[in-house]
Amino acid sequence: MIEAIAFYSMAAVALLGALLVVSLRNTVHSSLALGLSLAGVAGIFANLGADFLFAGQLLIYVGGIAIIIVFVVMLLGRTSDLHLRQVNQQWGAALLVCAMTGVSLWRLARGYLGVRAAAPAAPTTRAIGLLMLGDYAVPFELVTLVLVAALLGAIFFSRKSADGEVPS
Amino acid sequence: MLQHVYLIPLIPLAASLLILLGAKEDPRSPMPFLGIAATGWCLLQSIAIFYGAATGALSLPYAADWSWFTFGATAGGKPFLYDMPVGVLIDGSAAVMLVVVTLVSFLVQVYSLSYMRGDPRFKRYYAYLSFFTASMLGLVVSSNLLVTFCCWELVGFSSYILIGFWFERPEPPYAAKKAFITTKLGDLGLYLALLLIFCQVGSFQIPQIREYVARGFMPAAAATAIGLGILCGAAGKSAQFPLFIWLPDAMEGPTPVSALIHAATMVAAGIYLVAKCYFIFAVSPVAMETVAWTGAITALLAATMAVVSYDIKRVLAFSTVSQLGFMMCALGSWGFSAGLFHLTTHAAFKALLFLCAGSVIHAVHTNDMRQMGNLDKKMPITFFATLAGTFAIAGIPGFSGFFSKDMILEKVFEHDHESPWPMTVPLFVLMALAAFSGWLLDRGEFFTRLVHFDALPGLAPAHEAAHAPAYLTWYVTAAVFFAIYLAYRLYGGSNFREAESIKRRCAPVFNLLERRYYLDEFFLALVGLSDQAARLAFWIDSEVVDRFFVDGWGLLMLALARLCHLFDDSIIDRSVDATGGLSVSLGGTLRWIVRRGLVQEYLLWSAAVMSVLTLLTLPAQRYCLGASVGLGLLAILTLLLVRRPR
Amino acid sequence: MSLGHYLLLGAALFIIGLFGALTRRNVIGILMSIELMFNAANINLAACNSYLHPAGVAGMTLAVFVITVAAAEVVVGLALVLAVYRNSATAYVEDFSLLKG
Repeated sequence: MIEAIAFYSMAAVALLGALLVVSLRNTVHSSLALGLSLAGVAGIFANLGADFLFAGQLLIYVGGIAIIIVFVVMLLGRTSDLHLRQVNQQWGAALLVCAMTGVSLWRLARGYLGVRAAAPAAPTTRAIGLLMLGDYAVPFELVTLVLVAALLGAIFFSRKSADGEVPS
Repeated sequence: MLQHVYLIPLIPLAASLLILLGAKEDPRSPMPFLGIAATGWCLLQSIAIFYGAATGALSLPYAADWSWFTFGATAGGKPFLYDMPVGVLIDGSAAVMLVVVTLVSFLVQVYSLSYMRGDPRFKRYYAYLSFFTASMLGLVVSSNLLVTFCCWELVGFSSYILIGFWFERPEPPYAAKKAFITTKLGDLGLYLALLLIFCQVGSFQIPQIREYVARGFMPAAAATAIGLGILCGAAGKSAQFPLFIWLPDAMEGPTPVSALIHAATMVAAGIYLVAKCYFIFAVSPVAMETVAWTGAITALLAATMAVVSYDIKRVLAFSTVSQLGFMMCALGSWGFSAGLFHLTTHAAFKALLFLCAGSVIHAVHTNDMRQMGNLDKKMPITFFATLAGTFAIAGIPGFSGFFSKDMILEKVFEHDHESPWPMTVPLFVLMALAAFSGWLLDRGEFFTRLVHFDALPGLAPAHEAAHAPAYLTWYVTAAVFFAIYLAYRLYGGSNFREAESIKRRCAPVFNLLERRYYLDEFFLALVGLSDQAARLAFWIDSEVVDRFFVDGWGLLMLALARLCHLFDDSIIDRSVDATGGLSVSLGGTLRWIVRRGLVQEYLLWSAAVMSVLTLLTLPAQRYCLGASVGLGLLAILTLLLVRRPR
Repeated sequence: MSLGHYLLLGAALFIIGLFGALTRRNVIGILMSIELMFNAANINLAACNSYLHPAGVAGMTLAVFVITVAAAEVVVGLALVLAVYRNSATAYVEDFSLLKG
């Protein structure tokens, strides 16, 4: 019972936030709604018993990515666009595509509706840590490389040169 | 010495090759003596064999064979391994021929030492003479008919090169060609006869063929065909009717050559071959009759042609043809010994007459008899020799010709006593007209004992021998003396008024005789006919076959190739181009997708495709699949509708 | 709650994100929609891990990797957006049609 309430509420938050993301005109509002949606997803993780993911989601996604997006939206400063549409001309075709994809995904997921949890959730942090530095050590290191590359790329693309020109 | 009889043809051959290759042309060259020595050795051997056979010291027939090659053959339906040997067969007739050939060849070679002196090709002449002697001796001693045929051809070739010896003038090469081709015509018949013999008997060996015929395996039809073929060959080589046209023209060669080849030996080869294969004629009455009639016709025709000729050598040539006809007629009348006896005597006296004629020509430098006369005081030896020869050939009693001709007449008379007129009357006329002789053995009985035909057991001549009446000889001698008187009356003296008037009055007859019964024109027409036939065949080949079939086929192929090219060009190439064009237009169409350069449209397209694919991976129930495909089409439709120009 | 619920939630979140990616005019809006799609995938991973393989944590580990890579991608994307905005003074993706033709 508790679990159902928890699930449905968190799901509602996530979906509501998502809908707001794709439909609001104000980009700032949109980005804030993204944060809300990500928090809802964190709640879903908590429902599943994925404690590390729950914490990581909040820390990284909500506390990091959503904030950065808000920063950049404000940097762009297009608050005067509130009168313009934010959804482009191909929304109908996109709707159809999404419907078709939804149909197939729904049919896929429908088969698993009867599957129940086999055992109560257990803490996972320790296990994830062991796996990261054990079997998945190589992907772990590669991911650090990816982060370094992203850092460098971001710095490179967003700096100004000495005479005020931006690098193209 | 019979063991070395195979050397007799080989020694002159070696001498010929040595003379040809061993020395340069030199008027004082010693090479001719090599040829004379070789022939002399053969002469000694032949005389020894003849003497041994005559006294009975040597037993004849003698045969020796050496293996040449073997092959598988079938005779009478049964296969066997055929062993083709090369060998010698010496019987009575061969022994006599050996002596004749070697003796005349030897005498002619000695004669030529003086006659041909100063000729630029003196040495080569002797090589040719030795080669001829070798071929003729090979023909005489061979026991294998195929080897005999080879030597037959070689003898013909020797005649060709010797007739055309003085090839700077235009007539000798023409005469040589004529001789060769005419004899070749006869050789065709001989070759067919040889093939028939092999088909029938399965062997070329004379003793084996004789055995085959003796046992009665040879059917009469085959024997007739073979006999006629052999007669054909003999007619060519021995100048019988109608193939004698080459012999008068062959007088273009040097006189010693005429003496050796065209009087004594080569022309006797045909008679000798008929004699060697006499057992075949014995079982075929048709062939035997044909032989006799051919001989008789030839004798008469040639003698008539000799009457109108003024060239001394031509007269002798016609006389030779006539005498050969005589011999052939003898053979055809079961006169085996008579024919060969006359061959022997004729060789001697004809050679004598030719050599005398050569001596006269050498002295007066002309062949025309009308310009010769009163030479008896200036050339006494030649005069007496010619006289002797003339008496011999006329058959004056006591000379050899008398005996041999007498024997022939007896045989002919016996053979055909039912109807003597067609056969014997021409013979009477003959002897009166021709003239030649040499001294030889006189007792016909002796010759018959040596040279005779063993009647095959069970195949004796069908008719009984009736003896010729005694008055035959006296009639003949009287005719001879009358003919000599007539000739003296007409041609004695320096003017020929009476002869000329007779000639004017019988002009058509003389014309016919001078044109040699138009036989030359007949053969030339035959040649022309074959030329026309060849031209026709060539026309057919080049116009019809080549143009219609070959070129037509080529044109057909060309048309087919054009069709294939058309097909290739229009259909295949077009389809290839169309495929390429399809790719290009498809690409161009697809470019329409990215025409506006908007990333979100790309994203839309890929999302649409992905969604359709995900639908298809689901387990398809019909409504679901239909709904999804319909939705997909609607999506595409929407996509198309929303593309408003920017 | 069964696995199916979580999968349906993930599917819905994914579809909403797909719709946003196809229709938002602002570049940052597209990036945000992509983040939604990443989160949907993470939900799927965690749910399947919990329900189908409760003994192991491989799904969650992969989800951690996804979060990391998504973070890196957002950073780079935003830097690019900033650079492009400085050049063209527009943040609308329909103006970036250099790939035209």
